[in-house]
Amino acid sequence: MHAPRKDYKDLLKVHAAPGEPFVWLTSMGLAVGILMVIGLLTVIVLNGLPVFWPHPVYAAQLKAGVTSPIANATSVVGEIAEERTKSVKVLGADGKPLADQKEIQFFVGNKDAYGFSFAFLDSGVIASIDRPKDVLVVERIEYGDAIGTPIALKTATGETIDAGTPQFPTDLQKRINEGNTRRAKIERIEKTEIGRINSRMTELRVKGKGSAESQRQIADLDTKYNVLAAEAKALRQKQMQDELVLRLPNGTERDILIGNIVFAYYPNQLGLVAKTGIFLHNIWGFLTLDPREANTEGGVFPAIFGTFVMTLLMSVAVMPFGVIAAIYLREYAKQGFFVRAVRIAVNNLAGVPSIVFGVFGLGFFVYFLGGSIDQLFFGDYLPTPTFGTGGILWCALTLALMTVPVVIVATEESLASVPRGAKEGSLACGASKWQTIQRIILPASLPGILTGLILAMARGAGEVAPLMLVGVVKLAPSLPLDTEAPFIHLERKFMHLGFHIYDLGFQSPDSEAAKPMVFATTLLLIVLVVLLNLTAILIRERLRKKFSTGAF
Amino acid sequence: MATSQAKVPKRFLTQPFTLFIDRFMSGFIRIGGALVITAVLGIFVFIFLQIVPLFQAAKVKEIKSVPLPSGSYTVLGIDEWGGLPFLVEATGRIITADLQTGETAEIASPFTVGKQISAVGYNEREQTMIVGTSDGQFSLAALKYGASGDGDKRKITLALEADPFQPIGVPGVPIQSIAFGDTGDRKLVAAVQSVNGQKQLHVVTLARKRSLMGGGKLQVDKTYELGSMLSGQPVQVLVPTTADSVVVLNNDGSVNYLFLAANKEFEVRQKFTPFEDAEDPAVSVMNFLLGDVSIVFGSVEGANRIFSLYIPEGGDKRLFGMRHEFPKLPSAPGFIASSLRNKAFLIGGGETASLRFMTTDATRWESSLPFAAQKAVINGKYNRMVFLDAKNTLHAYSLDDPHPEAGWNSFFGKLYYEGANEKKWEWQSTGGSDDFEPKLSLVPLIFGTLKGTLYAMIFAMPIAILAALYTSQFMEPNFRQVVKPTMEIMASLPSVVLGFLAAIYIAPLIETRVPSLLLVSFGVPLASMLLGWIWSRLPITIRKHIKPGYEVFAFFPVVVLLILFFWQLGPLFERLAFVTTDASGKTVADFRAWWPHVTGASFEQRNSLVVGFMMGFAVIPIIFTITDDALSNVPQSLRTASLACGASRWQTAMRVILPTASAGIFSAVMIGLGRAVGETMIVVMATGNTPVMEWNIFSGMRTLSANVAVELPEAPQFSTLYRALFLGAMCLFILTFAVNTVAEIMRQHLREKFKTV
Repeated sequence: MHAPRKDYKDLLKVHAAPGEPFVWLTSMGLAVGILMVIGLLTVIVLNGLPVFWPHPVYAAQLKAGVTSPIANATSVVGEIAEERTKSVKVLGADGKPLADQKEIQFFVGNKDAYGFSFAFLDSGVIASIDRPKDVLVVERIEYGDAIGTPIALKTATGETIDAGTPQFPTDLQKRINEGNTRRAKIERIEKTEIGRINSRMTELRVKGKGSAESQRQIADLDTKYNVLAAEAKALRQKQMQDELVLRLPNGTERDILIGNIVFAYYPNQLGLVAKTGIFLHNIWGFLTLDPREANTEGGVFPAIFGTFVMTLLMSVAVMPFGVIAAIYLREYAKQGFFVRAVRIAVNNLAGVPSIVFGVFGLGFFVYFLGGSIDQLFFGDYLPTPTFGTGGILWCALTLALMTVPVVIVATEESLASVPRGAKEGSLACGASKWQTIQRIILPASLPGILTGLILAMARGAGEVAPLMLVGVVKLAPSLPLDTEAPFIHLERKFMHLGFHIYDLGFQSPDSEAAKPMVFATTLLLIVLVVLLNLTAILIRERLRKKFSTGAF
Repeated sequence: MATSQAKVPKRFLTQPFTLFIDRFMSGFIRIGGALVITAVLGIFVFIFLQIVPLFQAAKVKEIKSVPLPSGSYTVLGIDEWGGLPFLVEATGRIITADLQTGETAEIASPFTVGKQISAVGYNEREQTMIVGTSDGQFSLAALKYGASGDGDKRKITLALEADPFQPIGVPGVPIQSIAFGDTGDRKLVAAVQSVNGQKQLHVVTLARKRSLMGGGKLQVDKTYELGSMLSGQPVQVLVPTTADSVVVLNNDGSVNYLFLAANKEFEVRQKFTPFEDAEDPAVSVMNFLLGDVSIVFGSVEGANRIFSLYIPEGGDKRLFGMRHEFPKLPSAPGFIASSLRNKAFLIGGGETASLRFMTTDATRWESSLPFAAQKAVINGKYNRMVFLDAKNTLHAYSLDDPHPEAGWNSFFGKLYYEGANEKKWEWQSTGGSDDFEPKLSLVPLIFGTLKGTLYAMIFAMPIAILAALYTSQFMEPNFRQVVKPTMEIMASLPSVVLGFLAAIYIAPLIETRVPSLLLVSFGVPLASMLLGWIWSRLPITIRKHIKPGYEVFAFFPVVVLLILFFWQLGPLFERLAFVTTDASGKTVADFRAWWPHVTGASFEQRNSLVVGFMMGFAVIPIIFTITDDALSNVPQSLRTASLACGASRWQTAMRVILPTASAGIFSAVMIGLGRAVGETMIVVMATGNTPVMEWNIFSGMRTLSANVAVELPEAPQFSTLYRALFLGAMCLFILTFAVNTVAEIMRQHLREKFKTV
């Protein structure tokens, strides 16, 4: 059997079902939604990752008669930070638009010498552009990068090693490494050891109230302090000995103390392997170093650590309370109108703006609880507040309060999804109610509980608004967790990745210089939060499988 | 327990330990669970308790009365702490009364030189005093208060330093009213004298002759007789601290505002009668309020009005206009004492006293006193009031009014603020000077919140609902497992990241490309529908290549191309449609210049458009997920029945699925709304945070949440601002809680409905 040819032709003419254009419209909605996610993540990755990649340094020779933004220079040497086309909005006399202007933003470094580190050039004023092989990029502790041609290395012994000599690069590298080791040592002495002595002395002064014993101990500590200070001073002296002579594009030669150099490389001599090496080195530094230069240089280690400790504390606080409340609501409370109302209320608390929790945290935890604790236990230190000011404990508790509804709702849902049969079977076998909960219900609902917890952690890690009120700071002098008794310092203020982004992006004195750092931090935070969320989904799937096969 | 059948073997008995644990855990969980839930719900209670004091009236209590030696007292003054009031007697003697011990003492007075004191002007803020004598002379004196110790042990002392007497006006004629203003290097003294039954107003300006060595001595600069400028017989004069004008009250109830112009001549700025409409317009008492911009008048009939300086529309000079009217007092007021902390004043006479607050038109406290009060004063800390009665007894009252400027009117009412020429809702919590008038209206903030939410919803709602519709109804079901988590990742993006990108990346991008954005937002949906229409007209041999449910994959690159196409078309569109002339007269094709030119509204880089777009990232996934759930939970039978009856998939979706799930979609939108209302970081970072009240999409706003985040870290604990911010948080809490509850109830209702279908 086959259809007549005529009918087939008719079929061709049949239009699609009514409303098809609207179906396409809805598919556009979905496409736009997905595009937004992908687009946003792409923007962050594309701006965040190149921060670590070593960029080539260009030397742009200016046309004759053009004044360079750098005094007395005929060229601009630097990394290309951004190229942009500026459309000219003013129309010409004939009503036609004028040609677009192209503008290049150079990162020229040498902030100490120029007074700025970014320069704009119209593409029209550049005569030629090339990549000089011998340019050196020097990452310093202060004033950001220096970019220039190395001339020589002046050592403490008065020796001068010319940049042209073959041993210059290795020698430079060796001295920089030595300098870095010494700096780490100085830091350890000054921050950890002297810091410990200082805090002990403060304690003795306040608590000892000038008794002879405390005076003697203070004197003891003072001698120790002097020894350490002398050691640090000697090391600092050494840091000042060697110098690198660098010639800037405008011809001036500058001496840079080796002790102030963190890292140096020839950007235009690097192969792919070397570049990848520097890329990884930069990422490692970003993750492990302390911030420098008003947070625009260095790493974000304290922020990572602070976020981590705070989230951990929050989890410790939120988990038992959330689970207990959920078990109560589901297994013990008498189901009825009241419990239903409570359930709706708890559910809705998850939708209450985070800033409201921040307000509560400030009023209740910081001022009320913290103030009372200070009155009771830290009266000696008043009026300097100990717990009566923002701190990591209050942040963790505030966020715990904020996320407890999430955990309650998730736990309750998974408790409800445990098969009735399992529960009744257990009770029928003579197990007590608690035994049933402990051995049957809780294990079966563990995936749901964990998912709730991880979602809570993800929310806690990314939340900033309430933390601004209860204890986050742009630069904390010490970590909330260290080797000094009592090891965990709940009253300390801390740094947080999210607040770091806010602070760098908005409060930074040099927003242009802070930009790469913000994008890098953003990338890190996004990776962290997305990873946590993905883990939540994965764990949920895996545990679900395990229990569905293992139990019934 | 098996007592009668004791034969039950022990192994069948439950272990006591198990029973104990069970009982313990039951109790533990019951108590713990109830506690956690109470604690969580206690947030509401705590925040509520913080805002309660804002709405409480002042508490006033009598603490002491001190009888004074007999005499005729002309002025009552007080120190900052309210511990040692003083009185000046007509003979020049100065009596202090220690409110701690109740003892009175006479201190060394520079005025006891045989002159009769006939008028005194007292400036409590600067603790200075001017004394006019019955022989036409005046002296300026500084009151030097000293204090040692704290709290109950505070010991307060008073000493006077007076300049020598100087003549003013007609020699030998008593001064009836005197006032002075002092800017530091200029002083203005005004005095009323009665010469042969004719009242005269004499003014002296004193200027400091500047020398290289710093301040020189004050010398008389110029003298004036201004009686001819007045519209009646002067009774009382006031001089503001700016020392540039004189306000004169006449016996017929009219007031003359004389201004010292730059040419050092006085001009009559204004003549007005505060109680023009009253039967007897005579004014019984007048006084400046803190800041010397507003004058409180009390009429002989007991009426009470406040006139403030403002610049009338189109004018360039500040004139007095009536701004506030308070309820009448039973008798003509005899005194007005203004607070040094805020715009409160104490008015009263006879046996009534009333503490009123200018800005909010509120009466903070009113009571009838057991004595006839003649004079009164409020101390600098605004915690004590002292009255002098007709029998020369001082009565001290403690005043507990921590938030006089608060109140329903202050937060939600439209008010006249000083200097404004119309009633306004305004938020401006802090200012540069001490006499700053806080403007605490939450209305602009609520407005900003709604504005941000509106623009976010306009952008997010269509996209989220369309996407959910497609995902649940048209898409191949297998892809849902990928699409949903992708959209949910969007929900997990921290808002600080969104805010940062909005401000650093999106705002500069959009600023110059508004026309592109307009084209994209209207062009892409239209073009999609057009393409869909063309597609549906194509023969099935072509159409079969894209299976139903796979459209989005074919469409994905098309959408990207469409967006790029319209984006690039933007500048051309701008050149065609948005041409205007800029300030320098050049022709520009710039939307940024065109918009203010055509609409008169401003164009800012960080505007509601940016916020709306970025808030979309936070709101879309929420609306999407819940809508998708609601749509896919519609029983399959409805869908298949509709399709079997020959309806197309679009017809099924629109006429069967959507109406059934409408409550769910509504609740999705509500929950999305709740999220947008409370969003903080995006708004803080991506708007200018100016509390404006306009719907202009190209201007910023300040939302409740952003306001709390910005101002709370600076607000001192328990200050009015602190509590007002708690009130803002409470508004947010109630708003979102209500919205979410409605949504939740709708959702549960829907669930019940599906159960029965």
